[in-house]
Amino acid sequence: MVWLHGWGQDHQSLMKLAKMVGHQGPHLLFDQPGFGQTEMLHKGAGTNEYAAALLEQLDHLNIASPVILVGHSFGCRVSVQLAAMAPDRVAKVIMIAGAGLKRQRSLIWHLKAQRLKFKSRLAKLFDTLFGTEKLAEFRGKYGSADYKAAGALRETFVTVVNEDLTNQAQQISCDALMIYGSEDQETPPEFGQRYSSLIAKGRYVECAGLGHLDILDRGAYQVTAYINDFMKDGVS
Amino acid sequence: MKKTVAVFFGGRSVEHDVSVLTALQFIEALNPLKYDPFPVYVDPMGQFWGGSPLLDRSNYPINLDKISLTRLHLDIAASQDGKPAFTSHRQKSFGRVEVTHHYFDVAVPAIHGTNGEDGSLQGLFDFTAIPYAGCRTLAAATTMDKAFTKSVLRAQGINCLPELVLKRPAGGLFITDEALATALEDPALTGGFPFIVKPCHLGSSVGVSKADNTDDLMAGILSVFRMDHSVMIEPFVTPLTEYNVAVRRLPSGEIVTSAIEEPKRESDLLDFQNKYMRGSKSGKKLGPKVGGTASEGMASLGRTLNPDTLSVGQEEQIRRDAALAFDILDLAGSVRIDFLCNQDTGEIWLNEINTVPGSFAYFLWEAADPAVSFLDLTAALVEEGLTLTRERKGDTGAAQGKASIFSGI
Repeated sequence: MVWLHGWGQDHQSLMKLAKMVGHQGPHLLFDQPGFGQTEMLHKGAGTNEYAAALLEQLDHLNIASPVILVGHSFGCRVSVQLAAMAPDRVAKVIMIAGAGLKRQRSLIWHLKAQRLKFKSRLAKLFDTLFGTEKLAEFRGKYGSADYKAAGALRETFVTVVNEDLTNQAQQISCDALMIYGSEDQETPPEFGQRYSSLIAKGRYVECAGLGHLDILDRGAYQVTAYINDFMKDGVS
Repeated sequence: MKKTVAVFFGGRSVEHDVSVLTALQFIEALNPLKYDPFPVYVDPMGQFWGGSPLLDRSNYPINLDKISLTRLHLDIAASQDGKPAFTSHRQKSFGRVEVTHHYFDVAVPAIHGTNGEDGSLQGLFDFTAIPYAGCRTLAAATTMDKAFTKSVLRAQGINCLPELVLKRPAGGLFITDEALATALEDPALTGGFPFIVKPCHLGSSVGVSKADNTDDLMAGILSVFRMDHSVMIEPFVTPLTEYNVAVRRLPSGEIVTSAIEEPKRESDLLDFQNKYMRGSKSGKKLGPKVGGTASEGMASLGRTLNPDTLSVGQEEQIRRDAALAFDILDLAGSVRIDFLCNQDTGEIWLNEINTVPGSFAYFLWEAADPAVSFLDLTAALVEEGLTLTRERKGDTGAAQGKASIFSGI
């Protein structure tokens, strides 16, 4: 079982769950590139490159038999990429609050986004013309917490959040389980439902009252129950 | 078919807020493939409420002006046709009332202390034939009376501290100086000060105080009489270490014990303030925070699990006495039994029994050998409850005992 953590975290975030899941085989908890103890890939690397790097690691560890991928949030993007890229190496995919799809936004949201984009271009132009620091100011004001905290991974962050993995998800042929918290604002239940319709053998389950992060903590028992059941029977 | 598990929490008890934490933790650890949780909140007035907002920790303390809950009524006749049910009523036009039934399969009392852990709720469930988890009525009622429990256990050879019980005087809260002087001559108290003063019936260390002199003793007794009609006075063990262990019965009938914990102590006494409100300066706040980043109640208290301060013999005594007490009193569910130990002499006494312990003592089971996940513990408690009620029901028709008087019906 290979565990892939979310953005801004490391393998520790999945430790509690990995200990509880009743899988007999070995558990591999990775720090993904740029997080925890693992060095980052090149600037702006996308999740396909994260998946390729993971495949390299599995080769390096002589793991040829198909693995079970368990991801949380950003980790699921890497799972989806790997399962699409190397179907013979992936036995099952388990996605907990998985990211990788674009939100369905309203027209108003798109108009607001356009305005912000225009503002940022204007700030950049100002900076080149007059040597000001308007862009940094703009980022401070409108950048998300993850964006601001990304540091050296900022380019990767931008690449990753703009990815849409609809095509990759459609290529997944193994069993896949989607577990989402009903109160999740970051990766809403709608993502999981969409994933389960994109993946041929996908199953969607929802945990009432849980959000994006506490699904790993307070939700660990329910998630364990779903995973154990899925490991036993798969999707049938 | 999934079973609907009605978790009763809150309650008319000083331990209302702790119960909220216990219940939410239990619900979060229920296997969603087997059970549907049905939170039933008992407000401090004793009214029942249902609704999904009860699952969100940020809604506590409950403010009925802000969140919408459904007022529930326990339909005590409903189990005639199978499943127990709550009903709710909605006023419609032209004076019509719409009645909705909310069915469930089994009840889980997660109420600590009075009106929940003391046999009263269990008695209601027995009478209405509602399957429920945990101790049966008699066991729950017995263990709520600390002095009575000790007298039963002592008779079976379990080491318990001597105690003196005083009843609240008919005239009011105060006992006379003469009565106190006579009390102090009781053989249970020959060791002299300090003593520990406890309510006979409440749990969770509420009302417990230490008495170093007659004034303290008087004050302690007085504060107990405000909430309980009898007070128990015991010698204060010093230097004191406490050990707790959880006990339950496997479906095979075997009684097993959990990991042993040594609660960490910051002051002399583990009273309610110390136990649940660490960090908050005064008692002004009415309970532990239940919100998102909140305290986890019993599960988050400082403790040492499987402490190395215990000798092999002491550990054996704790496990043996705990299992024996569980058997003698015919307990059920996950029960936490607390022991006192004199650090100098190594002597160990069984102190008290909690039949609905905070967080169902899941943290002790997760540290047990073999470890039991809270996920499996919740399932075990629910299934045991169903079995116990099924066994009790049996055949109780009048004809069964050849006791029918009216024939030809």
